[in-house]
Amino acid sequence: MLGHATEILRAEGRHQPGAPTTAWAALLVAALATPAIHGAVMGTWSGRPLQVFYSLTKVPLLLGAATLVCLPNFFVVNTLLGLREDFHAALRGVLASQATLGISLAALSPLIGLIYVSGCSYPLATLTNGAAFLTATLAGQWTLARHYRPLVERDPRHRVGLVGWLVLYQFVSIQLAWSLRPFIGSPDFATTYFREDSWTNAYVDAVQAMLMAL
Amino acid sequence: MPETPNPPSPGPAAQAAAAKGPTLFGDIDRLLRGHYTSEAALRTGGIAVPLRTLAIGSLILGAFYGASMGLFSGLNAGAGNGSWLQVFASAVKVPILFLLTLVVTFPSLYVVSALARSRLQTGDTMRVLLGAVTVNLALLASLGPVAAFFTLSTDSYPFMKLLHVLFFTVSGFAGLGFLRRALRTILEPTRVPPGAVFQSFTPSPPLSITQGAAPPPEPATQENDQVRRVFQLWIVIFGLVGAQMGWILRPFIGAPSREFGWFRERGSNILLDVINTFGDLF
Repeated sequence: MLGHATEILRAEGRHQPGAPTTAWAALLVAALATPAIHGAVMGTWSGRPLQVFYSLTKVPLLLGAATLVCLPNFFVVNTLLGLREDFHAALRGVLASQATLGISLAALSPLIGLIYVSGCSYPLATLTNGAAFLTATLAGQWTLARHYRPLVERDPRHRVGLVGWLVLYQFVSIQLAWSLRPFIGSPDFATTYFREDSWTNAYVDAVQAMLMAL
Repeated sequence: MPETPNPPSPGPAAQAAAAKGPTLFGDIDRLLRGHYTSEAALRTGGIAVPLRTLAIGSLILGAFYGASMGLFSGLNAGAGNGSWLQVFASAVKVPILFLLTLVVTFPSLYVVSALARSRLQTGDTMRVLLGAVTVNLALLASLGPVAAFFTLSTDSYPFMKLLHVLFFTVSGFAGLGFLRRALRTILEPTRVPPGAVFQSFTPSPPLSITQGAAPPPEPATQENDQVRRVFQLWIVIFGLVGAQMGWILRPFIGAPSREFGWFRERGSNILLDVINTFGDLF
């Protein structure tokens, strides 16, 4: 598995763009199993085992469900752009970027653990985890760019497909992350899988908060 | 780890499907991939996809997205301010919305198409239009899971309304883009072969009032440009009729504050409602 992880990160060997075969199972395992490590570490801040278990399941759920919800549109958009022949390669790029995101999150989890052990407040825990997600997302984008570079060189319309994917995926994953809260476990709330206000809208709440601040 | 070989282009699965003959989703897939509307295919004077396939495909895709729209009201049914009947109503109304828009706008397209001396016959023109609707609905249906996800995860009715307006707009532009591309090829006027017995009327070139000026453009080219402009206007009308038809056929989502009903009272228009909804959002 470590061999696969290395090759996914380097976009080489079995996971290089244009490879004759695709190790789908390795990509799926890397994309879904590795974020669970980060999820488990995230939940340890609360000191509650149940929160650790909840977060362990929620981070892979967040990444997997957001991908699954956006895939039908990604398929149709690629088809409409006349890029169906390359869909296999595009999908491999997307999964490789998700796997990179997961592996990066797992790699950053010891750092998060260290910050927790050093003693940190709830806002700092939120901030450091946010930074970890941002860093891992950038790493995922790096892999995605590596996979898309030959595709865009072959046909510039791939750029449209890529932008469409990124916009929709971010749009869905922000709301999904909002719905799946809590990941860290605020000391002010009891341990639950969902918050009471989980079924509100992230975007509406964000704009309302901004309007109240002004 | 098991590894699967990457399919060569075109894939063996596609070849196997082609060997089996046309299927509903196979035909829609070929339409989305542009096989039926390539320049070469359109210049043969017809589109090979059957009308029935397009109509059934549109119904299924529209019903799928409609169901995801009505889900909002269905989920509110438990709280006593929604109805599962809305899921069914919207699944019926979304395909009807597109088909009625087509019925309303088809005669005008037929006239413009005939004036342009298009090579396509009435049936072919209908196929092109229905093809555009199918493309529109396919993109809309692909956004169905996203709409359903937001329906499950939010209780904001104004947000859902604007989200659906956004999805309809995006997919509408894709459908109209498809139509524009197809019509550009279709509207190429038929070249009258030399020596033909029955020659169609060709308008005379406009009189030049300046001696020594550049020669006027070829009549066929000039006519083509005019028809293109008319078609661009027609595409705008198609979009506006679709928007107003959606307004007439509302509700699709089902406002939580109102009882279920198949239709609402007439009045106002979609543009005003969208502007008001932005105000309600925050």
